[in-house]
Amino acid sequence: METGKIVIEKVRGKSTVTKSFSKYPLKFIIPRKVGPSRVDAVWIYALTYGGGIVSGDDISCKLEIGAGCTAVLTTQASTKVYKSLGSKCSEQSLEAEIGSNSMLVLIPDPVTCFSTARYFQKQVFRVRSDSNLVLVDWITSGRHESGEKWDFTHYKSTNNIFLESDQPLFLDTVLLEQGSIVPLAERMQDYQVIAMVVLLGPMLRHIQGQVQEDVKRMMAKQLQGSPARWDRQMKSNTRRRGYCSNSFLDNRISLSIPEASIGWLGGIAGFVALFLKNGR
Amino acid sequence: MEIDMERNNNRKRPASTDLPLQWSQWQLLDSILPTGGFAHSSGLEAAIQTRVITGPEDLHTFVVHVLENTGSLLLPFVYTASKSPSADTLCKLDRMLDAMLTNEVGRKASVAQGSALMRVAASVFSEIPLLKTMRDNFLSSGAVSFHHAPIFGLVCGLLGFESETSQRAFMFITLRDVISAATRLNIVGPLGAAALQHQIAHDAEAITEKWSNRGVEEACQTVPLLDTVQGCHGYLFSRLFCS
Repeated sequence: METGKIVIEKVRGKSTVTKSFSKYPLKFIIPRKVGPSRVDAVWIYALTYGGGIVSGDDISCKLEIGAGCTAVLTTQASTKVYKSLGSKCSEQSLEAEIGSNSMLVLIPDPVTCFSTARYFQKQVFRVRSDSNLVLVDWITSGRHESGEKWDFTHYKSTNNIFLESDQPLFLDTVLLEQGSIVPLAERMQDYQVIAMVVLLGPMLRHIQGQVQEDVKRMMAKQLQGSPARWDRQMKSNTRRRGYCSNSFLDNRISLSIPEASIGWLGGIAGFVALFLKNGR
Repeated sequence: MEIDMERNNNRKRPASTDLPLQWSQWQLLDSILPTGGFAHSSGLEAAIQTRVITGPEDLHTFVVHVLENTGSLLLPFVYTASKSPSADTLCKLDRMLDAMLTNEVGRKASVAQGSALMRVAASVFSEIPLLKTMRDNFLSSGAVSFHHAPIFGLVCGLLGFESETSQRAFMFITLRDVISAATRLNIVGPLGAAALQHQIAHDAEAITEKWSNRGVEEACQTVPLLDTVQGCHGYLFSRLFCS
């Protein structure tokens, strides 16, 4: 039994919620006026009672977006995952069907796992060849002001996109777990946030192009000048992290967020390139 | 007494059918096999140019991270292909891995290495005509990208290696190739590289044990930064490696 379900269909030419159901600990808020009225989009805020996900919570949600509709699913604040009690794992899952010529924009606030939290998130999207999807999936290192940096026990996030029900288009699972061989904090280096952004579909072509151009330009600037020459005599213990922590880039986007020297990376261009090449 | 000693001697000798297999195993792991693995640095070149690696300790850490991510993401594919070395299984694994290798640089590297390995295996291990048949069928159907991990598992499975050995072998060649890239990038000399490889072997074994014998639904990335670093490779001005 799902914790929540939303169906959106075109009613009198406008994207309309025709079915909305949610039960504890999930709650949907669907405000009527969010964006400008000339833009046809339904905004859905997903909230959890108590402001976070408690150990052992299991939240599953189904989203059906009918042909020609646009929906935005977001949160009111960051998703806090509280500490695990008795090694219980908290789970959230989303299954979304995106119809022909429709768009789903999934832009939640980041997940913040408290110390010892265990969390698993699975999002499955079934799309048509002309569906559109903007997906942002991100996680912070924890309550880093309290000194909790990558201090949670287990975080696993799966994002799968299938074309016409069964063709795997994009399968991505990130597992961040405390481990003895390769400590988690060491794996994340000085980064406090990690994000993945997916832009899929014909309506987003111009943004994909823009993003690729921006990344190319940023990368060229960063990699300009002589590449770091390796001096084997050099026994430097001071790590020059300035480069990395603020503007680490690749074919994904990296933006610096001024407040706390957070660098966040989104994985886009690789995926975008895949789409543009195959002309889907 | 004499009979006991003879029995002991016989027990110590491996079965005679295993011995030719060992020669094939060693040939598969030998860097001289022309599979083109040496064109790829597993993101090492990008890591140096983006200053993720600034010292020898960084190199050690980087290599262990590469092994961890390889274990979590690719070992399940090697395992499944080696347990069930058929064309059907290979097609499914190949399609799935293609969707999982979301960083284009890594994806291309996997396809390049897998194609080369399939070509070499089909010619070299002629006692297994199925390798050549499969390769020809895959090429004509165009349905397979020839990703490295499943092809490696397939070849090992068809050769008759145990799946544990196949998985350990895949981790070994990953370690071998990164260390070799480090030498060619002049981060470490040949002797230093050999010493480093030996030091890391202990961690490599632990990582192999941790990620062995899992189904592909468990495949995941455990060092996401690595994926990002490798993706930078396309933006480097001057590069020695393809990836």
